[in-house]
Amino acid sequence: MMENFGYLFAAYTIIFMVIFAYVMFIWRRQRRLEQEVAALERRLAELTGQSSKTRSAS
Amino acid sequence: MSAFAAILRKDLRLELRSGESTIAMVALSILILVVVVFALSQAGARGTEAAAGALWIALLFSGMVGATRALGAERENGCIAGLLIAPVDRATLYLAKLAAALVFMAVAEIAAVILMVLFFNLSFDSGLLRMVPILALGLLGFAALAIMLAAIAGHTRLGDLTLPMLAVPIYVPALIAGVKASAVLLGGAPFGAAWTWIRILIAFDVIYTVAGYLLFEHVMAEQA
Amino acid sequence: MNRNFIAMLGIVTALLMVAALYMAFLYVPNEATQGIVQRIFYFHVPCAWVAFAGFGLVAIAGALYLWLGDQIWDDLGQAAAETGMVFCTLVLITGSIWAKPIWGVWWTWDSRLTTTLLLWLMYGGYLMLRAAADETPQSARVAAVLGIIAALDVPVVIVSVRLWRTIHPAVLVTRQGGHGLEDPRMVATLLVAMAAFTALFAWLLILRLATLRTRARLNRLTLEIALAEAGD
Repeated sequence: MMENFGYLFAAYTIIFMVIFAYVMFIWRRQRRLEQEVAALERRLAELTGQSSKTRSAS
Repeated sequence: MSAFAAILRKDLRLELRSGESTIAMVALSILILVVVVFALSQAGARGTEAAAGALWIALLFSGMVGATRALGAERENGCIAGLLIAPVDRATLYLAKLAAALVFMAVAEIAAVILMVLFFNLSFDSGLLRMVPILALGLLGFAALAIMLAAIAGHTRLGDLTLPMLAVPIYVPALIAGVKASAVLLGGAPFGAAWTWIRILIAFDVIYTVAGYLLFEHVMAEQA
Repeated sequence: MNRNFIAMLGIVTALLMVAALYMAFLYVPNEATQGIVQRIFYFHVPCAWVAFAGFGLVAIAGALYLWLGDQIWDDLGQAAAETGMVFCTLVLITGSIWAKPIWGVWWTWDSRLTTTLLLWLMYGGYLMLRAAADETPQSARVAAVLGIIAALDVPVVIVSVRLWRTIHPAVLVTRQGGHGLEDPRMVATLLVAMAAFTALFAWLLILRLATLRTRARLNRLTLEIALAEAGD
């Protein structure tokens, strides 16, 4: 009954490999998006700060 | 219902003048039948099952052209903007497009049936007449689904390439039912023998005609 | 989506998964005719369950989006489709691996395999549409409609494919049914695995949804910056 162990092992390995790959895909995308959000927030803070300055100068 | 009639008449008149869509669909049906004969004849596959299969492949792909043209022609010449501004609700527009596409598909289908009989050495007998309702149901289901999906595909960068990938998997149950019913009737069985399959075709048609009628406004909303 | 909740759900998922693995490998007895390979069943069936559930979720999210028009329903539809696609792929792969030693072939047009394949193709079409369309409310409505249209097909597919296979001559008379769960331990193992995969699906779905929410925030920020720059 052990002769088909390879198939069993392959099935379970593939399940966990695919799920792990999906988690990695989500995690990397999340990290990149958060970096972009942080960069944009800095930019927005700069812009709004600048515009209020220029407005007060004129 | 006068808006429905007006759009339908316009589409039919345009098609009568140029014949573009119908000629393309008939030509594609002929090519598919020829290709299937070449592809299968070496394997010795002949007879009613192969004929029914070839006929439905032709229906599927020529129908795809018909559905794409139903909305694509309007997009190309910019008439779609006028249609969408006109005081016609989207559901009526959908029914009119569906009716027009059905007429063109039916012409291509008649040509395909005649060629199928010739290419597969069948005979022009009552079996063909009994197939009429099955082909009509198959065409209605496909047109109802594909016009909806052609409108959806129009929103993508890939455009018309998207339609087959969306339409084929969803159409499979109707395809199975249609091929089986056609093979049964071409084999000389009485109409009742195909009843199981006809019920599936009816269910498919009802689902997608109603869904298209109710949901078409969402796929044709602001876009031109 | 609360970070603590996601972490908690992750821990629950991990615990359930360890329990399911223990039961599937060490606790449950061998099935009499199929032997050890039948143990694939305990993870194969839960994958199929969440794949189908994901498909339903895509349609529900689509209907809610058309009704309420809130971006979150569109994001939920995409997250459910992607996560469902992952599990649908796993159903096909594990089913294939199971079929080889039992039926002697990698693929057979068995009614359940065929239905799953069609589901997979529809998921693929839906995700391709989303990939090839711009991120606009109009594209979101179109995707929502497609999600509904595809889900409507599922009952018709199930009926027609079953008839197609039964009216056909049975190619594989050796099919064991695969469900001879004669031992209560088998039922218990399957239930635990079902719970584990439901939790896993929910966890992955929420993670994916969180990235889509971040993307929506990014789009809002981009718009705000463009407006601020135009104001200068």
